[in-house]
Amino acid sequence: MRSLRIVFLLSLTLLTGCGRHDHRPLIAIIVPSQDNPFFKAEADAAATRATELGYRVRVDAHEDDAYRQDNLVDAAIASNAAVLILDNAGTDASISAVRRATKAGLKVFLIDRAINATGIAKAQIVSDNNQGAHLVATEFAHVMGGKGDYVELLGRESDTNTQVRTKGFHEVLDHFPDLKPVGAQSANWSQSEAFSKTETMLQAHAHIAGIIAGNDTMALGAAAAVKSAGLTGIKIVGFDGSPDVIAAIKTGDIQATALQPAVFIAQLAVDEANTLLKTGTTGKPEMQVIPCELATKANANEYVNFEHVAPQTQSAKESRE
Amino acid sequence: MRSWGWADVVLLLLKLRALVVLVALLVLFTALTPTFLTTNNLSILAKHVSINALLAVGMTFVVITAGIDLSVGSIAGLAGMVAGGLLTVGIGGHVAPAWLAVIVALLVSASVGWLNGIMVTRLGVAPFIATLGTLYIARGAALLLSNGRTFPDLAGTAARGNTGFTAIGQSFILRVPTPVWMMVVIAAATAFVAIRTPFGRHVYAVGGNERAARLAGIRVERVIVWTYVFSALCAGLVGMIIASQLEAAHPATGESFELNAIAAVVLGGTSLMGGRGTVGGSLIGACVIGVLADGLVMMGVSEFWQMVIKGLVIVGAVTVDQMQMKVQARMMPALLRSRSKITKVPM
Repeated sequence: MRSLRIVFLLSLTLLTGCGRHDHRPLIAIIVPSQDNPFFKAEADAAATRATELGYRVRVDAHEDDAYRQDNLVDAAIASNAAVLILDNAGTDASISAVRRATKAGLKVFLIDRAINATGIAKAQIVSDNNQGAHLVATEFAHVMGGKGDYVELLGRESDTNTQVRTKGFHEVLDHFPDLKPVGAQSANWSQSEAFSKTETMLQAHAHIAGIIAGNDTMALGAAAAVKSAGLTGIKIVGFDGSPDVIAAIKTGDIQATALQPAVFIAQLAVDEANTLLKTGTTGKPEMQVIPCELATKANANEYVNFEHVAPQTQSAKESRE
Repeated sequence: MRSWGWADVVLLLLKLRALVVLVALLVLFTALTPTFLTTNNLSILAKHVSINALLAVGMTFVVITAGIDLSVGSIAGLAGMVAGGLLTVGIGGHVAPAWLAVIVALLVSASVGWLNGIMVTRLGVAPFIATLGTLYIARGAALLLSNGRTFPDLAGTAARGNTGFTAIGQSFILRVPTPVWMMVVIAAATAFVAIRTPFGRHVYAVGGNERAARLAGIRVERVIVWTYVFSALCAGLVGMIIASQLEAAHPATGESFELNAIAAVVLGGTSLMGGRGTVGGSLIGACVIGVLADGLVMMGVSEFWQMVIKGLVIVGAVTVDQMQMKVQARMMPALLRSRSKITKVPM
């Protein structure tokens, strides 16, 4: 028992000792999950930029669970973080956590998803889902030749992005009288669910010529189902700009996707946090909406891991900044 | 001697209720959707059913021993990731051929099942807790393997010598998808083991009364460990079927699959209290859930209603299960009079 206690005390002093050595301010990064390439790219980009700028970094995932997010925010407060970069777990459910962090003195930067309240976070930097949906839907209508039966795969129906994207799709597609929506199913953002639901819908409707998916993982599931059914020429579009879909666009299995500038947004948030800590102001409005970009076979080479790497975007980025 | 009175008919219908529901669903969807009853669709339907059916068949023995296996979904995810990682990344630059990747993934699955069994028998951890633990452990391990990323391109290339994995989920034997054959063969073999072998009888005995089984000289621990290993092996197979179909291994694959499998087992009339249940029942239970899901998708019913309807069917089936027990108890004297002997229970 006594030796156990000594070990415990020793490790405690060691742990606190470690903490004392590092005087760099802490940036806490909380994202929905780390098993999704999109959120992973976002978290990695923010962490890399923060480390470059001389901050300590901690990355956590709340798994889209508002309660878990609450605990993680508390942990960030308890460890005296200077900045919280948060991709939140719900527009309404996250307000209290953001308010608590702000009250405790953390500078909160929301990325990717906004909350239903202003004046609490220092900035809310999101990609323009509506504009992105318009981009993809316009390209979809174009590759479909303006006619034919199509089905839609929706994300989790309780998510805001699902609603915004499907609304955006239809704001464009409903103007084409010969484009007929014959089915719409939620595949909950999941590849395997999109696979089986597409297989079933291809059975229910014989003349499907196109599939429009609310995100890229579902587009990949749909492409696998089309291939497994031995069909060719069915047009598929997605949303997000994931590396796997960029690869599928190059081979022609998928026609287009709207690239969400996740990496750019994450870096921007860290940069603004840095400016705020150094100068006392971000110099930017709270709400910042960053447009999506359309990736097709013509420009697929320019996109790597949620980032536009072609030289002309560097200047586009600078002009945005 | 009376043959086939009304009581027998009622009892038979109650006993076959899952089958009755299945037939009713098939008739309903055939009437409502013109393309439902086509060979093509039935083949795809059977392929979708096979995923849940393999999990349910694997879990049946566990449930008969009064256990439960919550880890099957995570094991499926882990097996897919192990196979996918060996196929595409390999170890030290050497990628594994498909057969080796499959064997290693099955071994990893089996060892998680073995861990479940050891915790339940040797360490006295309740099955619900033990498998809840491995649910998290296996999922975490799957995420760690790739650091959260997907392993793509499982089709492989001839140059790297890693082709062939796609055959598991995508090939056909006699124009029937291979996963369906796996379901049929494994279910038949499991049913045979349940009815015709000492091991099968031991499983029922352990679930019926563990103390009595122990006194009768059955090696209870060993029986229970094997049921968890078998459940895990089926789960591993499922994980590889999915990875093979998608040509990609995603670490989140199989999330909440355990709930569908438990629902299929319960729908099939297996008692969570142990000692009672059949492999055929679980197979029919999985068919009910699969037909319901696909039929509702074909009709274009929204996800929210699909969930409500699935829940109602599960609750309804278990309610009928309780009714059957009561009816059986009340009618037993009449039945005993009308029959010379009672037929043996397990089918």
